[in-house]
Amino acid sequence: MITSRTAVVALSVASVSAMFLAGCSSDSGSGGGSGKIAFIQGVSGDEFYISMQCGIEAAAKDAGVTVDTQGPVKFDPTLQKPIVDSVVASRPSAILIAPTDVAAMQAPLEAASRAGIKVVLVDTTLEDPSIAVSSISSDNKGGGAEAFSAIERLSPAGGKVLVISTDPGVSTADARVEGFEEAVGANSAFDYLGVQYSHNDPAEAARLVSAALAKDPDIVGIFAANTFAAEGTATGVRQAGKQDQVKIVGFDAGPAQVKQLREGTVQALIAQQPGTIGTDGVEQAMAAIDDKPVTAEISTGFHVITADNIDGEGAQYVYKSSC
Amino acid sequence: MSNQTISPSLEPLPPGDRPSRHTFDLVESLGKLARVQVFQIVLVLAAICLVFSIMAPGSFPEWGNIRQIIQNVSILAVLGIGMTFVIVTSGIDLSVGSVLVFSGVVSAKTMAAIGGDGWGVAAVGIVVALGCGLCWGLLNGFLIGKAKVPPLIVTLGTLGGALGLSQVITGGVDIRDVPPVLVDTIGYGNLPATTIPLISSIALVLVVIFGIVLHRTKFGLYTFAVGSKEQSARRVGIKVDMHLVKIYALSGTLAGLAGILSLSQYGTTAIAGQSQTNLNVIAAVVIGGTSLFGGIGTMFGTVVGLFIPAVLQNGFVIVGVQPFWQQVAVGAVLIAAVYFDQRRRDAASRGQSSSSLKRLWSRSP
Amino acid sequence: MATVAPAATPILEARGLSRSFGNVRALDDADFDIYPGEVVALIGDNGAGKSTMVKALSGSLAVDTGEILFDGTAVDLDSPTVAAELGIETVFQDLALAPHLNAQQNMFLGRELPAKGPLGRLGFLDVSTMRKQSQDALDELGATVRSLTVPVGSMSGGQQQAIAIARAVAWAKGVVFLDEPTAALGVVQTRNVLDTIRRVADRGVAVVFISHSMPHVMEVADRVQVLRMGKRVATLDAKNTTMEELVGAMTGATTGATR
Repeated sequence: MITSRTAVVALSVASVSAMFLAGCSSDSGSGGGSGKIAFIQGVSGDEFYISMQCGIEAAAKDAGVTVDTQGPVKFDPTLQKPIVDSVVASRPSAILIAPTDVAAMQAPLEAASRAGIKVVLVDTTLEDPSIAVSSISSDNKGGGAEAFSAIERLSPAGGKVLVISTDPGVSTADARVEGFEEAVGANSAFDYLGVQYSHNDPAEAARLVSAALAKDPDIVGIFAANTFAAEGTATGVRQAGKQDQVKIVGFDAGPAQVKQLREGTVQALIAQQPGTIGTDGVEQAMAAIDDKPVTAEISTGFHVITADNIDGEGAQYVYKSSC
Repeated sequence: MSNQTISPSLEPLPPGDRPSRHTFDLVESLGKLARVQVFQIVLVLAAICLVFSIMAPGSFPEWGNIRQIIQNVSILAVLGIGMTFVIVTSGIDLSVGSVLVFSGVVSAKTMAAIGGDGWGVAAVGIVVALGCGLCWGLLNGFLIGKAKVPPLIVTLGTLGGALGLSQVITGGVDIRDVPPVLVDTIGYGNLPATTIPLISSIALVLVVIFGIVLHRTKFGLYTFAVGSKEQSARRVGIKVDMHLVKIYALSGTLAGLAGILSLSQYGTTAIAGQSQTNLNVIAAVVIGGTSLFGGIGTMFGTVVGLFIPAVLQNGFVIVGVQPFWQQVAVGAVLIAAVYFDQRRRDAASRGQSSSSLKRLWSRSP
Repeated sequence: MATVAPAATPILEARGLSRSFGNVRALDDADFDIYPGEVVALIGDNGAGKSTMVKALSGSLAVDTGEILFDGTAVDLDSPTVAAELGIETVFQDLALAPHLNAQQNMFLGRELPAKGPLGRLGFLDVSTMRKQSQDALDELGATVRSLTVPVGSMSGGQQQAIAIARAVAWAKGVVFLDEPTAALGVVQTRNVLDTIRRVADRGVAVVFISHSMPHVMEVADRVQVLRMGKRVATLDAKNTTMEELVGAMTGATTGATR
């Protein structure tokens, strides 16, 4: 006897099969949805990626194409992969993406490339970036070194320094830390306490800093290697009441960090140029679409924002929270 | 005689029954309501698919896209099997995401230590992953079944414990050294001579097997009995404590399997990943009609419940809707599902205390 | 029709049971006895120890002191399963049904019939046989249960009671305990239950039921045993007693006929 459950199962299988048949008969050609590119952020709601989005949207408008921006709610490859797969299905001409993991995103982006979609890596990279037409990121190593120079200027006498990074294995953050470590190693006046990981969580960064200050109360400088790390580090220092003693140099210049800069809890911000990364990305994508020569690797620069120049020339480098 | 099904609340009347006058309306409408739940979500899924097919006819209904959706829900499906059993007993398992990560980590480390690339190494990795999952599952099970600690608390603890241990073992650095055979065949491979993803086939086979266990065997029946009224199950001599141990052990082992599947699909341990997995799995099970308060549920419903958020997200991305709306939409579907479940429960358990939320927090023997 | 304390061995006997919960002495050196095929009503005021006695005799509760004899042999009723194996079944006031399961599943809960052959060892069940036997058991009880495949939680209190009683009666080989079986029932259903009690006893199974309704007690019981403050204070022949005598024994206004 046919139970209702059997009927339900049969009905669903029938309707899904009907859709398959409908789908199979439709054209499944290579990428080439004209006039459409996609931008997949590392995490949505992060001012760095929003500034990038603004740059991309402006450049796309000039080039006469539309941009759809998507991003996972956390910097997490298990969340980003389904988004990449869905974007690939919508067949844009190009995808600009900040991969959340060098290994996990390799295969999905290879699939995009095989489907004829031009892939441009912005900010973070892959294990094998050759599948992309271009990789664009800040010179993070140089940025790390510049961060150390800023700490040197702020505390010429030397002392203990600490680094708060996000997650090990994030290529951009690791490069910044590397640049900083090399620079601090060359200067014997400073005592390097090592790097700790806040997993992109400001609350975790605050906890780590509080604990570090409890262990070493005479820290003179902390380098926070990304947006959320910088936010949390400033909070941790203020909770310990050591704003006058500890100099903080943060990477990235979101509105919250600019506020901390104005308040004096953070002394310098190393701002990347996410907007430029975005516009460069669109440029490379359009070149690839039009079969013109592309530049495989582009390094963008950074600017140092301090309390002195925040209202002057530094203002333009602050990350945007909306376009 | 008639087609046998044991799963409660999903049966039409056998043809010979004559309704007695007093209880006709009540039972009839309850039967309709219960059956309607599974129909409802299938209709919802069909409607969502229809809408997106109309909005993006060239992209959405295409096999390449559908194949991706199926591939991406496969790991969640494996977790959903265990979670269905657990939630039917009116328990909960928050640790599945972390056990997944832990199993992947230990498995990857073991395979890296053995060295080599072939199926032999991979087989060891698979067994290790299952073993890890089983161990965490047994831990959960004993604490919940024997020590009588509430499931919410226990699995919250193992969530932290498993994830923390993963970070200790790896120093927080992901292991990206996964045998290519795993990635190529299980992660992205297809069934021979088809384009059906192998990982999805594995998930489907498991769903079918455990669906049969849930709905047709004594083990499944006892699961429903314990979830429906644990005290009654004890009175008739069912060994409730051991049964709960087995249920959580099952959930843990499947999380271990999911760990090796995840390793195959992502090629990395993704320790910082799986952040939303727990809630996604629970949402899928609940949307599918399994009641958080126990006693009611279907494996088929869980499968449909998995697809609804996945299809919503996929469709939204293709059509170009902002990511945040996707969360809103999934949240709305979840609330609607729980609302209908509550209405059904009120009709089904008259005369019973309705503060069944207590079951999540306390364990009255 | 009723047999009064025949000379055979009691199928179930309790001697000197005592049980305390903290400071409260629920059973205080209490006795009980019942013979095969007999209907005994266990009455007493609230807090007299009736439910405790039933729980102790059905394996749901341990006793501090005292002994229990089944068919003359001392037994240790560790759990309801042990009691069930001896042939003692109980229907408590909360019925102990699983509301989401249907009538057939509840009837066989814990005692399922495995499917024939190798499938049975894998855990598959012989639903059709169980369904038929459930229907037979309910028919014998005269219970009108609309459908065997609808969750029992959706049925009225009377139907649920019928299923619970049918379950106990179907599996019982020695003694059936019924704790307030007619408490929530209407007139017709109460009639059915009382008839069932009689029918079960006629089959040779002993029935113990707790009740607050003296008319029912006097109608269907063979003997009445009265508990007061944890002790058995009276054993009366139901056919030869009066309401006043019963109430008097319960409240202690009169000393009982047997001590």
